[in-house]
Amino acid sequence: MMNLSRSVALISLFLLPLLSFSFSVDNPTDRRVLVLLDDLSLKSSHSIFFNTLKSRGFDLDFKLADDSKLALQRYGQYLYDGLIIFAPSTERLGGSLDSKSIADFVDSGRDLILSADTSASDLIRSIATECGVDFDEDSSAMVIDHTSFSVSDVDGDHTLIAADDLVKSDVILGKAKIEAPVLFRGVAHSLNPTNNLVFKVLSASPSAYSANPSSKLSSPPQLTGSAISLVSVLQARNNARVVISGSLQLFSDRLIRSGVQKAGSHNQYEKSGNEQFVTELSKWVFHERGHLKAGSLVHHRVGETDEPAIYRIKDDLEFSVEIYEWSGKSWEPYVANDVQVQFYMMSPYVLKTLSADKKGLFHTSFKVPDVYGVFQFKVEYEMLGYTTLSLSKQIPVRPYRHNEYERFIPTAYPYYGACFTTMAGFFVFSFVYLYHK
Amino acid sequence: MVKSTTKDAQDLFHSLRSAYVATPTNLKIIDLYVCFAVFTALIQVAYMALVGSFPFNSFLSGVLSCIGTAVLAVCLRIQVNKENKEFKDLAPERAFADFVLCNLVLHLVIINFLG
Repeated sequence: MMNLSRSVALISLFLLPLLSFSFSVDNPTDRRVLVLLDDLSLKSSHSIFFNTLKSRGFDLDFKLADDSKLALQRYGQYLYDGLIIFAPSTERLGGSLDSKSIADFVDSGRDLILSADTSASDLIRSIATECGVDFDEDSSAMVIDHTSFSVSDVDGDHTLIAADDLVKSDVILGKAKIEAPVLFRGVAHSLNPTNNLVFKVLSASPSAYSANPSSKLSSPPQLTGSAISLVSVLQARNNARVVISGSLQLFSDRLIRSGVQKAGSHNQYEKSGNEQFVTELSKWVFHERGHLKAGSLVHHRVGETDEPAIYRIKDDLEFSVEIYEWSGKSWEPYVANDVQVQFYMMSPYVLKTLSADKKGLFHTSFKVPDVYGVFQFKVEYEMLGYTTLSLSKQIPVRPYRHNEYERFIPTAYPYYGACFTTMAGFFVFSFVYLYHK
Repeated sequence: MVKSTTKDAQDLFHSLRSAYVATPTNLKIIDLYVCFAVFTALIQVAYMALVGSFPFNSFLSGVLSCIGTAVLAVCLRIQVNKENKEFKDLAPERAFADFVLCNLVLHLVIINFLG
């Protein structure tokens, strides 16, 4: 009995390092992803997308959305690092999941891919509204575009759209330009205007609108034009990333494999841009790109190496910070020319752009302003698609000591001369006064 | 009318001048010293008007040394003047000793404030 428990303890001791090989600050790529489906046939109909994820090292856990044993966390620890919800018609999630637990999941810094489709349920809509995305209230509406549809649209109602209005961001969509349009067929959504963290990745053309394709339009559609977003993305303040798509077919093998020709254009592409689009987007959402980490801020006087506890006004100082970007496997030095540092006390007295060297060290030097008080070195870096860096370090600045002022100022030489002349004059006067006859 | 006023001014000037020539020599020496000190102060003020008041403490120090020593010299003149009934019992040596001591203190302070 004792031997058994001892051997179990030994084995678990060896397994312990493996357990820590999941989501952590040093290794931010997600590993375990829960995929919720409302129909297990999605596993095969979307196999290309799931295989690209598996080939990059993700553990996908496929479950039905109303499986009663679903759980995101156990005993306070999250079991998964990412969540994919491809269950647009599910009314209630099984197990311990509901829209609040999914919101908590994102609040804990974990990522989410949510896809709605033509029969989006209220649950999916409420999860999307939490993320700042509002789907069209009409549940039978789809995105229709009579000028940007794909000519391979068999139904002829122009709901299969060839969209190419992508966000201009190399971080989110990769360096390689997506040449072919992306095929989309689903519901429209718009972004909540008060939410400034959500933005469109794929938007509809100005001629698109959201309406029921099988019935006549009785009133002008509410969502029209470029206000319609087809795929949106949210990067939360805790750097969790959420992708919300209005079409489940965007990820499907059928649309990935099909060729595309936009109506009215002569370019015919053998393969749509869907595979490149969803692959690059999934790389971004699971932190394989655009995830920054900053080392501590280092500052010191020019010529010294230690960090002083206090600066004097008009000191020359040097400032540096290290920033790294996660490449999917390791931390690579981040190179950019727009990282800035502020020397801040209620408002920035000094604002300088840091110059990068190839090893991820951003540095600059400047003169402390002629104001004393308690300042902060602040680096606030918020670029689209990158994690936000918000670093600060406080440092006091003192005025001159009484013996640090300038001496023997050349402008004041006449005054010095006058004083000594007066003293000499007094000396001569006293002699003359005493000994005159 | 005009002729009489100019003649009056000339008469006034002549009477002042002749009265001044009659003053004792030591008082004239003191007067010369006061003029020298005030003149130095005026030069400094003109310089400051030209260049600006950057080391203001130096400017103040220079001007104050001149004005201070002039004031002390005027006090000496008052105390030493034999026509002054008020200081009849004060020995002129005592007055001069006060003058020297005050000037020493003044110049000490001035050099400290000169910066």
